[in-house]
Amino acid sequence: MSMTQTSSATAPGTKCWSCGKIADGHFCAACGKIQPLPRGTSYFAFFALPEKLQIDPEALEQQFHKLSWKLHPDNFMRADEFERNLSLERSSELNDAYRALRDPLTRVEYLLAHKGMRKEGAAKQQAPPELLEEVFELNESLDELREARAAGEDLAALRASLESAEQDFQEKLAGVDAELDQVRTEWDAAIEANATESDLSKVMARMNEILNRRSYIRNLVVSVAKELADA
Amino acid sequence: MAYSEKVIEHYNNPRNVGSLDKKDPNVGTGLVGAPECGDVMKLQMKVNPATRVIEEAKFKTFGCGSAIASSSLATEWVKGKTVEEALAIKNTDIVRELALPPVKIHCSVLAEDAIKAALSDWKTKQGEEVNAAETKSAAH
Repeated sequence: MSMTQTSSATAPGTKCWSCGKIADGHFCAACGKIQPLPRGTSYFAFFALPEKLQIDPEALEQQFHKLSWKLHPDNFMRADEFERNLSLERSSELNDAYRALRDPLTRVEYLLAHKGMRKEGAAKQQAPPELLEEVFELNESLDELREARAAGEDLAALRASLESAEQDFQEKLAGVDAELDQVRTEWDAAIEANATESDLSKVMARMNEILNRRSYIRNLVVSVAKELADA
Repeated sequence: MAYSEKVIEHYNNPRNVGSLDKKDPNVGTGLVGAPECGDVMKLQMKVNPATRVIEEAKFKTFGCGSAIASSSLATEWVKGKTVEEALAIKNTDIVRELALPPVKIHCSVLAEDAIKAALSDWKTKQGEEVNAAETKSAAH
């Protein structure tokens, strides 16, 4: 992937609070002082990355280590309170940012949340009725297997049904993950092509819909795995 | 995070678990889900068309303890109420009764949505106009 297209943490043209020169990134290039971050700075910008979903994990980890070292409060023990606080805040944000971007799935969730597309509880996340029906039925069949076990029915047969259910759910999960991969690629291409806000929103709406479906299927996978562990 | 005593009580002794005949014209069915956590909830009510009183309510929920408790409580509350009274139940009433923590508020929203979905299904079956405001998502 290309790491050349970068967006820096501070807005271009922001003046350094200390020397008044134009500061870019976490530190002023002229005087080296740590800089405050503008509100709403994204975790991508924090790492000077474009808002793309394919990230080289090794480059990200290296950047994380480099920044942790640079922003570490130990380096600011003799600085004034303002800088000490900045270092503390920034170190904790760095950990949040790294955690959110490190995992490809939480990365998508973070992007959507940052863009206001996935607010817990606020924007109603409703799944299509057919999906709910299907998920409900799958849960019910799992329930029947559970009851059959409680009633002491043939364990071997039960195990076989659970295993086939597990395979079915795993396949569904793999299907959803493939869709997610596809839409990730589309997103990155759209960013690369400087797509319009409305085009970007369409891609995000699809990502959101896929993530919603995924959470139901993931729950099914977890439930069936639990049943199998007990069977 | 610990569950409140009331949540645990409903979770251990859920009221009105089961299902009603979906094809019965007097039965309204609401199936809703919360993608944030993957919970699914089905709530059914049998309404007397003459008195508009909810005579029976059943639920089945696949989800966490708070979602089960919220739907169990919802079935308890709607029984004996009229359709209009049941529609007035707010998710915040459930939050208060069950002492749900902020991260579990969506479970109560799910229960309110399920009541509204079931009753709008009943109204549709009865050939009544469904008020758009009723199908709108619940307040938070």
